Amino acid sequence: MTFVHQEVWHWQIATYLFLGGLGGATFAIGAVLHLFEGCDRKMLSIAVMSSIAFLVVGTVFLLADMLQPLKAIYALTNPRSWIFWGVVFINFYFIAAIAYIIPLLDEWPLFQPIVQKIPAPIIGLLERFNKLVALGGSAAGFLVAIYTGLLISAAPAINFWNTPALPLLFVISGFSTGAAFLLLLSMLSSNPAAPVISAKLEQLDAMLIVTELIILGAYFNFAMFLPTGARASAEFLFHSPVFIVGFFVAGLIVPLAIETWGIFFGGHSQENKPKLPMLLASSLVLLGGYLLRIYVLKAGMFQYPW
Amino acid sequence: MARYGMVMDMRTCVGCQACMAACSTENQTPFWSEKFRTHVEDKEVGTFPDVRRVQLPRLCMHCENTPCLSACPTGATHMDKNGIVLVNNDRCIGCYACCIACPYDARYAYEREDVEKEHELYGKDVSHETPHVDKCTFCVQRLKEKLEPACVATCPTHTRIFGDLDDRQSEVHKLAASGKAQALNQGLGTSPKVFYIPS
Repeated sequence: MTFVHQEVWHWQIATYLFLGGLGGATFAIGAVLHLFEGCDRKMLSIAVMSSIAFLVVGTVFLLADMLQPLKAIYALTNPRSWIFWGVVFINFYFIAAIAYIIPLLDEWPLFQPIVQKIPAPIIGLLERFNKLVALGGSAAGFLVAIYTGLLISAAPAINFWNTPALPLLFVISGFSTGAAFLLLLSMLSSNPAAPVISAKLEQLDAMLIVTELIILGAYFNFAMFLPTGARASAEFLFHSPVFIVGFFVAGLIVPLAIETWGIFFGGHSQENKPKLPMLLASSLVLLGGYLLRIYVLKAGMFQYPW
Repeated sequence: MARYGMVMDMRTCVGCQACMAACSTENQTPFWSEKFRTHVEDKEVGTFPDVRRVQLPRLCMHCENTPCLSACPTGATHMDKNGIVLVNNDRCIGCYACCIACPYDARYAYEREDVEKEHELYGKDVSHETPHVDKCTFCVQRLKEKLEPACVATCPTHTRIFGDLDDRQSEVHKLAASGKAQALNQGLGTSPKVFYIPS
C-alpha cells in the first residue's frame, strides 16, 4: 500500500472551489435576506454583483487550469460527471443572478443608461417576479456551493475526499464565507438598516462556524480511525502549521470568539457599535475558507495498492 | 466482439522495463517528461532480514466499472465494444477529473510542451496533435492488425499475457479464472480487466 500526494489539482482549483462556494452562498444568503428581511436595494445589488464577479473569476481559474479551455462547451456532454452538473448549476446561477440584478441596477447612475435600453415590459416582468427569481437564485447558489464539495469527493482512491462529510463541510464553509462577506459589506454600509442586517449576519455566521466545527470534528474522527490514506491526510493537516493556525485558529476560533462577543456583549442594536472587530472577524473567515480549500486539496492522497 | 484483458505473472518479471520502451516507441508517449502509459514498480517487500524485491508492472486496468468514464464531463473517455477504455483526444478538455478519479495512477497529461517536443522528434508522423489526458489503449491500433500490444510482444519473460477474457480457450482466460490471479484494489468495485499472479 502506498500513499501518494495528489499532484493534479493545485491552488488554481482551490481558488475556483473557494470562489464558487463564496459566490454561490453570497447570492443565496443575499436573496434570502431580500425575501425575509427586505434589506436595501443598493446593498443587495453590490452583494449580487460581487457574487457574479466571484463566480466569473473562479471560472477563469478553472479554465486556466485546463489543457483545452476553448473546448469547455463539451463539458455539457456526460450527465454522470459532477463537472457536467457544475456547469448546469453555474449557468442556472448566472441566469438567476442577472435576472435578479437588472431591476436593482437603476439604483446606480452609472448603469441607468443600460437599464433604460431594456424594453419596459421586460423590466416590469423582472420587477414583478423579483422575489421568485431570488428564491430560484438562492437554490442555484446553494447548488453551486455544494457542487464544489461533490466535485472533489468523486475520487475513489483519495479516501480523505471520498466521503459524504466533504460536500457538507464545503457547503457550510461556503455559506460561512458568504455570510462573512455580506457582514463585511453591511459593516461598511452607511444605510440606516445596515446595523440590523449586520446583527442577523453575525448570528448566522456564528451558527455556521459552530456547525463547521461539528462537521470538522466528525470528519477528522472518521479519518483518524481508518487505516487508510484518509488518516495519512488528516495527520498531514495536523502537522501543517498554516492549516492549524491560519484556518482553524485564525479562520474559525478567533472569528467565532469575536462574533460571540458581538452577539452577547457588543450591543449590536446600537449604531455606534465598534466596527473593527467585526471587519476583522469577516476577513479572517474569508481567509480561513480559502486556506481550508487549499489544504484539503494539498492533503489529498491517492491510496495505491502497490 | 471481445473482452480484452491482461494477466501479469509477477513471478517472471525481471524489471527490465522493455515494456515501457516498447510502449513509448509505439505510442509516442512523452518519455522526455518521464511520462509513460505503463510502468514497472520496483518494490521492496518484507522487513530485514526477510526482504525481497518485487516487480509490479502496471498500466490502465480497463475497468468494467470505470470511475474515469463517470468523471469525464465531455465523454472523451469512453469504452469501445471490446471493453477497452479509450480517450478521444479531440474531445478532451484536460480538466483532470479522470486523473483524480483513477485509482491506479494510469493517466497523465500530454501537455502543449509535450506535443511540441513530439512534433520536433517525429515530424509528420505524430500521433498526438493536441494536448489531452493520455492513457494505455492496449495498443488498439495494433489489435486492428491482429497484433498483440507492444508491451506484450516485447516482454522477454512472458510476464504479460494478453487476450480475450471471454474466450475459454485463451491463456488469459485460463489464468484469470485459475484462482491464482487477482485484480488490484478489488474493494473499490471497479472490476479491473488486468489481473496479477503474485510472486
